[in-house]
Amino acid sequence: MYSLPKLSVIVPFYNEEDSIGPMHAAIVQAVEPLHIAYEMVFVDDGSQDSTAARADEIARQDARVRLVKFRRNYGQTAAMAAGIQYAMGEILVTMDGDLQNDPTDIARLLAKMAEGYDMVVGWRYKRQDKLLSRKVPSVIANRLISKVTGVSITDNGCSLKAFRASVIKNIPLYSEMHRFIPAMASIAGPRIAELKVKHHARQFGKSKYGLSRIYKVLLDLMVIKTISSFTSRPLLWFSLLCVPLTLIGFLALAGGLLAAVPAGGRLSLPLTGSGIIFLTAAVTLTASGTLGELIYKLGDVRPEDFARLTKELRAPQERAGSP
Amino acid sequence: MSNAPVQVSVIIPVGERRTSLGELYAEYRSGLATLQVPYEIIFVIDGPQPDYQQSLAALAADGEPFTIISLTRNFGEATALMVGFEHAAGSVILTLPAYLQVEGSEIDKLYAALDSADIAVGYREPRATGWFDSLRRQAFHGLLQLVTRLQFHDLGCNVRAMRRKLLEEIRLYGDQQRFLPVLAERQGFRVAEVAVRQSKSDRHDQIYTPRNYLRGFLDIFTIFFLVRFTKKPLRFFGMIGVATFAVGILELLYLVFERIFFSSPLADRPALLLASLLIVLGVQIFALGLLGELIIFTHAGGSKDYQVDRVVQYPGAQPAAAKPAAIETSVKVVA
Repeated sequence: MYSLPKLSVIVPFYNEEDSIGPMHAAIVQAVEPLHIAYEMVFVDDGSQDSTAARADEIARQDARVRLVKFRRNYGQTAAMAAGIQYAMGEILVTMDGDLQNDPTDIARLLAKMAEGYDMVVGWRYKRQDKLLSRKVPSVIANRLISKVTGVSITDNGCSLKAFRASVIKNIPLYSEMHRFIPAMASIAGPRIAELKVKHHARQFGKSKYGLSRIYKVLLDLMVIKTISSFTSRPLLWFSLLCVPLTLIGFLALAGGLLAAVPAGGRLSLPLTGSGIIFLTAAVTLTASGTLGELIYKLGDVRPEDFARLTKELRAPQERAGSP
Repeated sequence: MSNAPVQVSVIIPVGERRTSLGELYAEYRSGLATLQVPYEIIFVIDGPQPDYQQSLAALAADGEPFTIISLTRNFGEATALMVGFEHAAGSVILTLPAYLQVEGSEIDKLYAALDSADIAVGYREPRATGWFDSLRRQAFHGLLQLVTRLQFHDLGCNVRAMRRKLLEEIRLYGDQQRFLPVLAERQGFRVAEVAVRQSKSDRHDQIYTPRNYLRGFLDIFTIFFLVRFTKKPLRFFGMIGVATFAVGILELLYLVFERIFFSSPLADRPALLLASLLIVLGVQIFALGLLGELIIFTHAGGSKDYQVDRVVQYPGAQPAAAKPAAIETSVKVVA
């Protein structure tokens, strides 16, 4: 029938009955002048209000809207992942359903993508949120994320992002990883650009986040760090964990042996014992590393696929040049 | 029986606890008749039970229609259920125990409840039971609620009706059939609890040994882990590992502090052993969590984090998509 859309705009909605109508209108208004084939993927994340009904109504009137309805609430990462899964475009743009992102930025994101980037991340440089409960933790979290993951992004929390479909569709998104999509994607080694985008104050509904997420962010950060650094070489990573244990073990053992000399050959049990415990732990950890290698070998994530992907993608991209 | 396609498949796993077949079968038959839909009955014999198989064969010889599946050994009720499901043709699956828990006439209540739910779970009300049984049951369900934040009254009642797709998505194993409603709820299915009358012959004379308690507790722990942490093992193991590690390090620091300022010799203190054990244990638990994360990460492509109810797109009525169509026709005219 129609050719596949070039652009997919993915918007998750969770209890946004007042926002969904204006959001749809704003996207259409912003993308229509670009004269490209596009579609909208709306994900209803198990809303309890009339969001689903209104989304259905919109889909009825606009064939470019695909509505993915969750059975219950699964959270933003799952909604994004589903949107990405069901999108058919070559370029995917994700944004929040609460009208805080501005669809007029899509044109600029696309222009940036055309320069040859695989991923363009929005930066809400004039963020319209409460200072103490949202902005301050966000700044600290972003510094930390950049520092730890090595992917320097000013604003990881901004949902307005553009991706090349072939890159993002291969990146596993689960748990609450949406804040770390750039870091997660860095496994694939894409070229990431940042772009200042508009940000509006919330008009309808209320924010679904509070301070409680800090603890989760910290743990997830740890997961990301370990995963992105050890995915393809678990044995090496576990061996690194072993190094301090082995050192302590040998020191304790040596201390115990030395202490035995003045004591007339009587070994000190606690000291030598601790040394042996530490050394044993080092051995078990190495074994765990081997197990990790096995798991990795049996799994279906292969960075070499990512590498091939981004490499193939880039060649024609660079020929195309910037508009 | 008529040749109409089967709508309800009744699965009866036959385990250790069972009542006489004749009585059970008559009761269920009369109950199922009130549904007024074509149904089939599947007996799954969990492990060799010659006497029961004989009476089933006798019943079948009388011309009673049902399927018998015999398992080579005792695999547990959940497995028996899954095997029975593989042979079930109906769009609604009804599970009934091989002993009379509820009155047969209550079956249609469960079937009717499926109008607004994906699984209907019976609970026996009012219940004839001793105070100690009642206390134990409350403790079990209270603990479960604490862990899963879901409230159920009687998970021991195996009289349940469910839609086919539910069992297609949830793979049960071991003793998990008791927790089927919990798992269903987690998958986003609608769960309804239906009060059913307890059968007069439902007497519970099982003696609870410490082993039973331990098993119940482990079951709850398994569900707790499955429900809360399957996708984030490091959150679980990491928490325990870091806590253990921290205790060990603190103890070690204290020992070193005493060694330096009070010169109590480090080498002769058994507390040193404890400290190093705790540290090592912490690191190992953490490493287990990492392995878990690695499993999740490398298999995340296969297991989705969410369940899609439906995908909606209307290709027909569309003011906007009329535009490309119009362009297409005009192109054709020019060509």
